[in-house]
Amino acid sequence: MKIVFALLIIVFLAFSGYHLTFRSLKLPLFAREFYLTGTEFLFLGLLLGPQFLNLLDTETLKGLEPVGALLLGWIGLLFGFQFEIVKLRRFPLDFFKAAILESFLTFALVFFGVYYTLPLFFEIPEVRHIVLSLTLSAAAACTAQTGLALLSSDFTAQHQKTLGFLRYVSSIDGFSALLIFGMVFFFRKSSMTGISWVGDLALGTAFLLVISAGLVFLYIVFMSSHRDESELALVVIAMAVLTSGVASILHFSPLVANFFIGFCLVNLCRQKERLFKILVGVEKPVYLLLLVFLGAYWKLDSMWLIVLAAVYCLYRFIGKLFAGFMVTRLSPGLSSYPSHLGFGLLAQGGLSLAILFDFQQGISCDISTSLISLALLAVIYNEFLSPYLLVRLLKEDK
Amino acid sequence: MVDLYQSKRNLATYILTLFVVTLFALWLRHLDMESSWQKAGMINFSIGFVLLLAYMSAQILKIARLPLISGYIIVGIIVGPYVSGFLTNDMISRFGFINDVALSFIALTAGGALHLQALKKRRKSIVLNILFLTLVVFGFVFVFFVFMGSNFSFTRNLSSVQVIAFAVLIGVVAVARSPSSAIAIISECRASGPFTETVLAVTVAMDVFVIVLFTVALTVARVILGGSGMMGTQVFMAVFVEMAVSFFLGALLGKGISFYVDRIWHDLPLFLLFLAFGVSKLSMWSDNFMINCFDIHLHLEPLLICMSAGFVVQNFSKTGVYFMESLESVSLPVYVLFFSLAGASLNFDALRLCWLLTLCLAVVRVAGIFCATWLAGTVAGDLSLHNRSAWMAYLTQAGVAIGLAQIAEREFPEIGMYLTTVILALIFVNQVIGPVTFKAVLNRVGEAKIR
Repeated sequence: MKIVFALLIIVFLAFSGYHLTFRSLKLPLFAREFYLTGTEFLFLGLLLGPQFLNLLDTETLKGLEPVGALLLGWIGLLFGFQFEIVKLRRFPLDFFKAAILESFLTFALVFFGVYYTLPLFFEIPEVRHIVLSLTLSAAAACTAQTGLALLSSDFTAQHQKTLGFLRYVSSIDGFSALLIFGMVFFFRKSSMTGISWVGDLALGTAFLLVISAGLVFLYIVFMSSHRDESELALVVIAMAVLTSGVASILHFSPLVANFFIGFCLVNLCRQKERLFKILVGVEKPVYLLLLVFLGAYWKLDSMWLIVLAAVYCLYRFIGKLFAGFMVTRLSPGLSSYPSHLGFGLLAQGGLSLAILFDFQQGISCDISTSLISLALLAVIYNEFLSPYLLVRLLKEDK
Repeated sequence: MVDLYQSKRNLATYILTLFVVTLFALWLRHLDMESSWQKAGMINFSIGFVLLLAYMSAQILKIARLPLISGYIIVGIIVGPYVSGFLTNDMISRFGFINDVALSFIALTAGGALHLQALKKRRKSIVLNILFLTLVVFGFVFVFFVFMGSNFSFTRNLSSVQVIAFAVLIGVVAVARSPSSAIAIISECRASGPFTETVLAVTVAMDVFVIVLFTVALTVARVILGGSGMMGTQVFMAVFVEMAVSFFLGALLGKGISFYVDRIWHDLPLFLLFLAFGVSKLSMWSDNFMINCFDIHLHLEPLLICMSAGFVVQNFSKTGVYFMESLESVSLPVYVLFFSLAGASLNFDALRLCWLLTLCLAVVRVAGIFCATWLAGTVAGDLSLHNRSAWMAYLTQAGVAIGLAQIAEREFPEIGMYLTTVILALIFVNQVIGPVTFKAVLNRVGEAKIR
């Protein structure tokens, strides 16, 4: 049986690799989105993981933890690099406010829904209940750019203004989600020690800032003399893993810690362009590996998960739609954008997957695997749903 | 003048950074680790720390014209379980799988660095070197231990029969080389030329050949120690099949890589890392599968698979150059990690226990290598400079020798502990000295592009 699966994997890998070349593959829209966004790698992980082939067995996954730390570090740094203040200033401040508001409203609505839905299906202690709800809603608040990136050139040319706004929102809205997710880790520690998490938050944030400053200084020292590409890559790899490790030891999120460092580097380091080139050079493989890792943890042991994932997806859909409506109505400068902007913000990949992975690594509990599986299913639902709704939004956009 | 100023500035920066990072690591070490999440974090931190430390130390050594891998190995020794204990044995065993992937990756590079045309031209020299290195080095070490072994306090308790068996096994292990170290130094120096080609080919071929030799040695030792030596043909058949299957799979894999490079080429370094992972994992899985389903011990050797894959891509496709460039682009982190962990695994305790015997064996081995390479070069008609210096390129020893020691320990528990200790100590010495002499000889024969 395993041989059959192994052969399937070889075919799968060959085809998966192949698709990178043929971007104009003529597949139905939903299949094209599914395939070209790399979602199939989730299934590859599932196939390689303990559920099927067991090539990525529990022992191997434990041995590969440093690779997981590297992936989280890399994604955190990349996301931090998107917040270069000079570049952000080129866009109207309304855009930034809209992105933050959109993300926060989505988060609040999904949190409300998830918080009251989860106890209907799982028995969870109160502190863990909040942690799980915060994580799922933080993951829901993020938007991926995959759908926008794969739009045909006709659409891109006709709707430059709306697409530009959507791109901006989707690249920034993870900011508040990530900060909220960072708080989850303070909560986690207080749930273990019994100390109030508010006190932990203040102390932890101050501590995080001091440690981050030290690590940023270290980066800048390394960047102060000329290094070739491979040396720079080594420094980035080592620093990303080191930062993730420090974050874990001190009860922080590796993703958030690296995000801070990325943010500081892009605004302070002279050689940021070279660093960014290295980070972005393997962006796609990093995300694909993340999908494989998450897929390996995927466990569909109950049909209820499929239904729950649909409910979670629905909350997110309502949240995005409501948030999109509010941001275009609350700010006069944005009223020219379509009110159902949320249709263009449904793709859910990238950062939200990293949040889920960070959660899986750091706060695993008896039902965390089920919730990760649920969230992954929701990501897939969104991959099916988002292209149609994005096209619909653009068709109605005048 | 500007270069000198830059070097001094870099040196000061590295030393200061090393100091700060080490202080930070020591502080973290003293924190209480309550949860498994923190312990996992400590492992991740340790990897990042070792990578940075090894990189900076190697850069400091580079100013003194020492090879980079010496820096990685020395840092590994210092942070390893036998000196500072920053990396524990448990941590090192947890990194074992990453280490295996790195080794498969290096094996791909070693295979890719062999050019068929050049090998054909140097055929005579390569064959003679393999022949003499095997016979002379084995002979020197064997004779030395048979006559002198019982004079050392560490091996004084061995009976005369055990001394002979020990001498046979250590003689064969002394023949083993380290292709990974060779390829790392050749890459660092950007070395190329007839001398480099010969050394690399001999090192890679001997890594394969020593497995066959060791099988013979095991059979002989079994006979000497009073066991049965009759299963020889079966064992040889199994070794032959393992090698043939590994080579065949490697060739297939090589074709697959060529196809990928030719038709897709995206993210090749990542694809190659994935393949290295796949080969390591497949090899482990196939071992279990063959035992469970057919009750057959068939061990596919990931090193052979990857070496032959690299060789096929380089010599039987048009994609060799791009393939090697891709490997090169990610080689630095792989080398730093691999050799630091190799350094951390070097057994300092073993060296402490039998340092005198180890030093004597190391000297005898060097003498054997010198005679063998000089003889081979003279008969093959190589340049006199090459013949006088070639011994310096063959000192490094690593993974295969350790593997052989472990097999011998399982087979002959009565002498196994002595053998493993001496071999680990010998590897310690050779792996510290070998890279330095290798880099020096590449400079001496003028084939190193970067000094």
